Amino acid sequence: MKNLRVTRRGLLGATAAATGIAAFNGPWRFNRVYAASTDKPVKIGITSDASGQYANSGASDRRGMLMAIDEFNAKGGVLGRKIESVHIDTETTPATGSRVAERLISREECGFLIGAVSSGVANAISQVAQKYGTIYLNTNSSSPSESGENCHRVKFVWDGNGTNFAKAAVKNSIDNFGGKWMLLTNDYVWGHTTAAATRKLVDEYGAEIVDEILVPQGTRDFSSALLKIQQAGPGVVSAAVGGDDQKALRQQVADLGMGDKPAWINNQQDWPDVYGLPLDNLFGVFGTTWYYKLDLPGVADFVKRYQAAYPDTSMRVPGNVFYNGYMATRELLRAIERAGTTNNIAVIKALEGHVMPAVERMQHHDAVVDPVTHQVQQTVYLATANRGSEDPDDMFKILTNSSPEVVQDMGAQSACKLESYADTPTLDV
Amino acid sequence: MPTLSDISPRSAAWVTPPMLVLGFVMLSAPLWLGAVGLYQYLGIEIAIWMIYALGFNLLFGYTGLHSFGHGAYLGVGGYAFGLFQHHVGSSLWGGLAAAILAAGLAGVLVGAAVSHRRGIYFALLTIAFGQVFWFSSIKLHWLTGGEDGLLNIPRPPLDLVFLEVPLGDNLSLYYFVVAVLALAILALWRMVNSPFGRILQAIRQNEMRAAFVGYEVWRFKLMAFVLSAMFAGLAGGLFAMAQESAYPDVMSLHQSGLIVMMVLVGGGLVSFWGPVLGVVLYFVARDVLGALTETWLLWYGLMFMAMVMFRPEGLAGVLHRLRRRPEPGATPRPAASEGA
Amino acid sequence: MVQLAPHLFNGLTLGLLFALIALGFTLIVGVMEVLNLAHGSLFALGAYIALTMIDPGWAQNTALGSFWLGLPIAARYAVALAFAPLLVALAGMLLERCLRPTYDKAPLYGLLLTFGAALVIEELIRLGWGTGERHLPVPGAINGAFFFGGLIFSKYKIFAALFSLAAIGAVWFFLERTPYGAIIKAGAHDSEMVRALGYDLARLRMFVFGFGAALAGLAGIVMVPIWGLRPHVGIDVVIPAFLIIVLGGVGSFWGAVVASILVGLAVGVTGAYAPAWSLMSMYLLLIAVVCYRSRGLFGRKSALER
Repeated sequence: MKNLRVTRRGLLGATAAATGIAAFNGPWRFNRVYAASTDKPVKIGITSDASGQYANSGASDRRGMLMAIDEFNAKGGVLGRKIESVHIDTETTPATGSRVAERLISREECGFLIGAVSSGVANAISQVAQKYGTIYLNTNSSSPSESGENCHRVKFVWDGNGTNFAKAAVKNSIDNFGGKWMLLTNDYVWGHTTAAATRKLVDEYGAEIVDEILVPQGTRDFSSALLKIQQAGPGVVSAAVGGDDQKALRQQVADLGMGDKPAWINNQQDWPDVYGLPLDNLFGVFGTTWYYKLDLPGVADFVKRYQAAYPDTSMRVPGNVFYNGYMATRELLRAIERAGTTNNIAVIKALEGHVMPAVERMQHHDAVVDPVTHQVQQTVYLATANRGSEDPDDMFKILTNSSPEVVQDMGAQSACKLESYADTPTLDV
Repeated sequence: MPTLSDISPRSAAWVTPPMLVLGFVMLSAPLWLGAVGLYQYLGIEIAIWMIYALGFNLLFGYTGLHSFGHGAYLGVGGYAFGLFQHHVGSSLWGGLAAAILAAGLAGVLVGAAVSHRRGIYFALLTIAFGQVFWFSSIKLHWLTGGEDGLLNIPRPPLDLVFLEVPLGDNLSLYYFVVAVLALAILALWRMVNSPFGRILQAIRQNEMRAAFVGYEVWRFKLMAFVLSAMFAGLAGGLFAMAQESAYPDVMSLHQSGLIVMMVLVGGGLVSFWGPVLGVVLYFVARDVLGALTETWLLWYGLMFMAMVMFRPEGLAGVLHRLRRRPEPGATPRPAASEGA
Repeated sequence: MVQLAPHLFNGLTLGLLFALIALGFTLIVGVMEVLNLAHGSLFALGAYIALTMIDPGWAQNTALGSFWLGLPIAARYAVALAFAPLLVALAGMLLERCLRPTYDKAPLYGLLLTFGAALVIEELIRLGWGTGERHLPVPGAINGAFFFGGLIFSKYKIFAALFSLAAIGAVWFFLERTPYGAIIKAGAHDSEMVRALGYDLARLRMFVFGFGAALAGLAGIVMVPIWGLRPHVGIDVVIPAFLIIVLGGVGSFWGAVVASILVGLAVGVTGAYAPAWSLMSMYLLLIAVVCYRSRGLFGRKSALER
């Protein structure tokens, strides 16, 4: 597309002259300056799902962003400008994601987009965002491809991915549960990349994978897969099953009492997906990036702020999805302050390589925005069901924490090719 | 309730007043879209969906074959366009031709299996085939990128031999899509008013009678199916350009149901222009309601139910009735079903 | 290495569950020739109403509420199983009232109206019960697992399969062996005659639709402890129900039951040998059968072919 610049520019001029159209033509490699004066609010577009499979997580994600925005506005906004937000439902549908992104950028004049749970929607939004140069924060989609082959200069990924969680879990589990492994994999991209990461590590540590069961997306009955697992009798089953399929699987494993033997390794369990369910549903070991009862300074206060901001929600304590939404938004606003401008390239540079001290992120280790992949390298926790707790909200027992260096996704490092700064349109809102 | 055969003037004219109105509205849209709170990309999407819906109505409204798996051909078109750009070469015409041909081929395969079926069995087989396409697009991730989508599809420039026009920005792509829409409308208009179109309508009204007159009914059903799949493929190719990517979701049953909903609400069963009205209403309602309330589907669903209950002839039917108000007995037939 | 027998048994169980899912849908299609796309939403509605009946969290501070919550779970479950479907039947009757203008039109309109209703019911569930995952508690006696032949089986699933058998038997008995059933079946084939005999056709239709909706709700209550409960759980229901009707043949009660078992076996056995294809298998089965037998296994001619 780059070599077409001249003809395109010519056409634009001709079209504009011929029709007298002064309408918005898209900042295709042109600089765009909306910010006429400093009293103009900074507008953030929220692209979270309010319907479809991820509606519930999307709502939690959104609350996190709004709390961060409200906290900044309470102390005078960013760069002295008020922060406004617009939310449009992305419906867990990529086609809607594209349209919502176009609308938020070209009609609502949003300078920044935040929010995603589904990787398809995240990809659709980031294609549009990269075209306009609008910074986009992928808060909660944990597909390794997000910071691998589908990475973009304008996109920053805030969740841990399947590889991170596998790295945290595999060594530990071989030591505890033995070397006979089985994989239960959802038959789509996320399932396959996550399973591949596990397989590589299992091979590396000298354990054996006896079988891999592929289950199609949309599976509601896992009985034949569970029968196969019983017949093979592995020590460990590593499951990469996501979305509603995972919810059905949980229910059926709990019903059979198969949650303890074999040992299960699950990927990340998002808090909105498990909150309020019986503990039996939380079988095996699973990952998370944050928990509301981590014994760290600031956590209790954070939970209080959440409860003060959202007294009516049925989810009485914040979880990892809320946390990611909040942290991503807060760090974006801080980066704008560090950059001293809302110019996109300056803000991108302020984010790249930025180290976030453990105490500020309420995690055990410092986190960093990886300048090569744009994924936040952060502490990954392994957890299991917290049996015997009096408090129904206290569902997780944190088993281990792994530092970002240990769980880093090296595959993403080689797969990700960010666009150059020069190829990213500049804009200032 | 009137039917398509009653309202659509059996005109041999190449250009009719509604075409001029639509042409004027579409061409001037970039001037006022912003002023009414819309935006250019929405215009592209609406124009693409008009092509899809008009082509779909050839099958649905004119031939009376109720396909509930038509999203499959839109999806196939999108993937074909993208794969052509990635693996053959960057070419607009090549990509669109690939989109139309691939969707047409898929249409032949499915059409051959379903064109002997009627009514509910036809509808259900189209659903089953649609689901197979949808599953395949997720499963064949080495080809399609699975649920991550087929990404980085370029917008190749419009190559007019003497002039190369880039389509990178939304405005020029919009005008290109409108030009394609104009060609599609002309083609479909000629088609439905040709002897071929009459035969399709005869099949809708009474398949057995059409067969007794001597037409090989299934052959015409197959042709209608393939043609409408090809229009869906064209729309899919354009949509892949607009989105610069292609995803499996457009092939899902839910999305295939939405196109039926749009065509019906617009009045595709009573007018050639019904699908156009339905698409505009759906996209604008969604954009406006969707920004106001998160439960917009509730309101859209209620509106849809009311429409089916009280105005099953859709928007086009309402407009038709308003226009014909002065003459009593505007509908020549009793409101009995026409097998529509 | 894969023993087939347990998978065949599993497929059979699954088939019975599919039959339960399809039962209400079959009844409405067979008797009224309406394809009820809201079947899945009514399924979900039944489960949500049962959830509120079994565990009315908001009522625990009232005297009645605390008395109710003091009862054993089995009693509350049984009450919910009996009464939640009745409330779903009321919703179904309301929907039938909306369907009336479509009776003298092509079957397409009934289908479209119920598609709209499905959207509306699902959104109402979101508003009423929230978007999150919920858990429907079941009595301890049918919870958990038992061992057989060295393998673990779910007690609840066996209960659900037996329940499905009982429901199939009850519906069959009602339709074939009671005077009501005879009138209903007559209404399907000769509405003039039913009217001439002095029965109120409108009321008959309302009853049948309510009955079908109640069966959808009942299936929801029985199925969600296996599938989990979320507002859009109903989308997993309509497609299998559709497939089963077409495979078995529209209007054939036993056709639907046989088709359910076939689908269950297909999914179960592919699950053993080629699990990645287990869902695709039902579509391929349908395409294979319908390409050879245009009206499915036991289908009759019906108005839906127009």
